[in-house]
Amino acid sequence: MPRRRFLQFLFRAMAAAVTGVLCSKKVLAGWTAEHFAEGDFTTRFRQLFGDRAIADTDAIVLLLPEIAENGAVVPITISSELPDIQRLYIWVEKNPTPLAAKLEWDASLAVYLTARIKMAESCHVVVVAQQGERLLRAQRWVKVMQGGCGTG
Amino acid sequence: MDGYTEIKLLLSHPMENGRNRDPVTGVLIPAHFIREWVIELNGKVIMAAELGGSMSTNPFFTVRLKNSLTGNRLTVRWIDNLGFSDSAEHFID
Repeated sequence: MPRRRFLQFLFRAMAAAVTGVLCSKKVLAGWTAEHFAEGDFTTRFRQLFGDRAIADTDAIVLLLPEIAENGAVVPITISSELPDIQRLYIWVEKNPTPLAAKLEWDASLAVYLTARIKMAESCHVVVVAQQGERLLRAQRWVKVMQGGCGTG
Repeated sequence: MDGYTEIKLLLSHPMENGRNRDPVTGVLIPAHFIREWVIELNGKVIMAAELGGSMSTNPFFTVRLKNSLTGNRLTVRWIDNLGFSDSAEHFID
């Protein structure tokens, strides 16, 4: 093999190896950058759900403090007796990145979750659940005493 | 509700959203947060989550398995935006 061709070959092989390493990044759940992008709530919400109808429900129970002393740690509990809930979305209306989490689970888990979220300021926390093809919504207003830095 | 198994998880992680500044230097702290988090039961994924920077530092979660499943193997894994990852395993007793 002429030397130049050999060097070209070597270079390509190395480039391929490097690309392979960079692209072999592990994936667990997958992560959709545009859903978690910064932006205002209405825009992000519409981007994710489009024009699909969303029904408000009392069957998804949201527990949040009425007044949160510290916006950096706001406890949230979501529970429901509804069957076939496959997915939950947790939104914080006034956060710079409004989507906090998207969770998907199978039937071996009950619809029960506690977590801790950040809140930049007083606003609604909106939980959307997907039941089959239906979207259900529950929301609650939380007054945040100290938001800003370390939150959102 | 009886017969469920409650799982409590504390993931040690700064969960920086990229908008906070170092209190001393005033320099912006780069985003560093867990993006993907899964729970496996005997090797099968039963919950998969995508998280954003709006989750609190050191995420603490509770979920409930519908049945009490003694001897079964639970695995929890996460990966953050910088490619760091961790996992832990536990046999339900």
